[in-house]
Amino acid sequence: MSELLKNIIRFVLLMFVQVFILNNIMLNGLVQPYLYMLFILLLPFQTPRWLLLIIGTATGWVLDNFMHTPGLHAAACAAVAYLRPFLIGMLSPQGGFEDTSRSPSPATMGTTKFIFYAGMLVLIHHVIYFTLEVFDFQAPRYLAMKILFSTLITLLLIFVYGLLFFEKRLKRRSFS
Amino acid sequence: MRNLILFIRRYFNLLLFIAIEAICLSKVLSQNPFQQAWFLQFSEEWMGKLYQHYADVMQYFQLRQVNDSLLAENTRLRNQLAQDYSFPDTSRRLIRDTAHHRQYLYYPAEVVNNSIVHASNYITIHRGKLEGVHANMGVVSAQGVAGVVVRASDHYALVMSLLHKDFRLSVRLKRTGDIGYVRWDGENPATALLSDIPRSVTLYRNDTVVTSGFSVMFPPGIVVGYVEKVGHQPASNFQIARIRLATAFSRLRYVYVIENLQAPEQLQLESHIPSP
Repeated sequence: MSELLKNIIRFVLLMFVQVFILNNIMLNGLVQPYLYMLFILLLPFQTPRWLLLIIGTATGWVLDNFMHTPGLHAAACAAVAYLRPFLIGMLSPQGGFEDTSRSPSPATMGTTKFIFYAGMLVLIHHVIYFTLEVFDFQAPRYLAMKILFSTLITLLLIFVYGLLFFEKRLKRRSFS
Repeated sequence: MRNLILFIRRYFNLLLFIAIEAICLSKVLSQNPFQQAWFLQFSEEWMGKLYQHYADVMQYFQLRQVNDSLLAENTRLRNQLAQDYSFPDTSRRLIRDTAHHRQYLYYPAEVVNNSIVHASNYITIHRGKLEGVHANMGVVSAQGVAGVVVRASDHYALVMSLLHKDFRLSVRLKRTGDIGYVRWDGENPATALLSDIPRSVTLYRNDTVVTSGFSVMFPPGIVVGYVEKVGHQPASNFQIARIRLATAFSRLRYVYVIENLQAPEQLQLESHIPSP
């Protein structure tokens, strides 16, 4: 399966899960996981930065249209897509990741680095999104709690996603 | 131009990011009702504050015009006061328009020079012979009596300030009607001395002292000052009091010159007092 097709399938799958399952989950008013942005995290290493920005913004825009929140997700996703190359550059070893045709994953980056990578970007996304959504600076504690819990749950969901999809890849890679 | 293109190429991703974020934020603020309301309130508040400051600054540049227009209006209003008109004789025939015989006329004037520190202080005003000022005209400020014109040139006039050792002003106690006179003792530009009030009259603090109208220069009833402290003169039938002057001489900017239209007649009549 080509990398392009895989990404398209991943996009459709994550959007479907986000719109029809996760958007209906509302725990205590504090937890609103946004797993769809994992799509931006998993784009291939070699994607040019301008393309990354456009794909990221488009992803956010599609979800905005589903959720009737013009601009909120697009703004957050654009920031994630812009900051992604900086974080990868920070985490990459001397000379870059050996296999740049692949996507970031625990297998290609190392588990600790991937957790840090995903955690940072999810946090950035959630900070921007919830700040713009709540838009009320009278209750900073509520905002901080919302960001924190949602980030943790999103990371948990990414872990579940990893159990379902990353593991096989790792095995296939180690076998080949 | 080449540098600009190089700059754009170098920072293309950053510029693209900023452009996308700007578009997104404008959508957030314009299409989400809650955020839009917040933004409108925020911008209105701050724009209002900004405009307020702007107006505060710009006001200074118009202060002169504002002062001039206020001065003109005050002059117009002063010229309509009842005390400007001498009362006609209504006992012989019926006169419907009692404001007929104008006696006093006010002219506005700007103070161009003023001193308060000498024993003999003079004020120079920017209105002279050509604009109707001549010697022996009274000069009042917005608060009270200021002085008397002593000399006039074509466009300027020299005014003997109330703060002059030779200045004598016939006054009346507004409450009782007793007459006396005010002079300046050179001590303090904010106070003067009131003399010749009979001992039978009890002076109270803050009693108003007004012009008597005996001199031809001032109409009756213009405020001169307020009694501050009553002194004792044991060997005299008259008492002396220190009054707080109504006019703030240290910040005199605009004054009115008073013309008494019936002064020549009164002076001519008084000049023929048969000497005993």
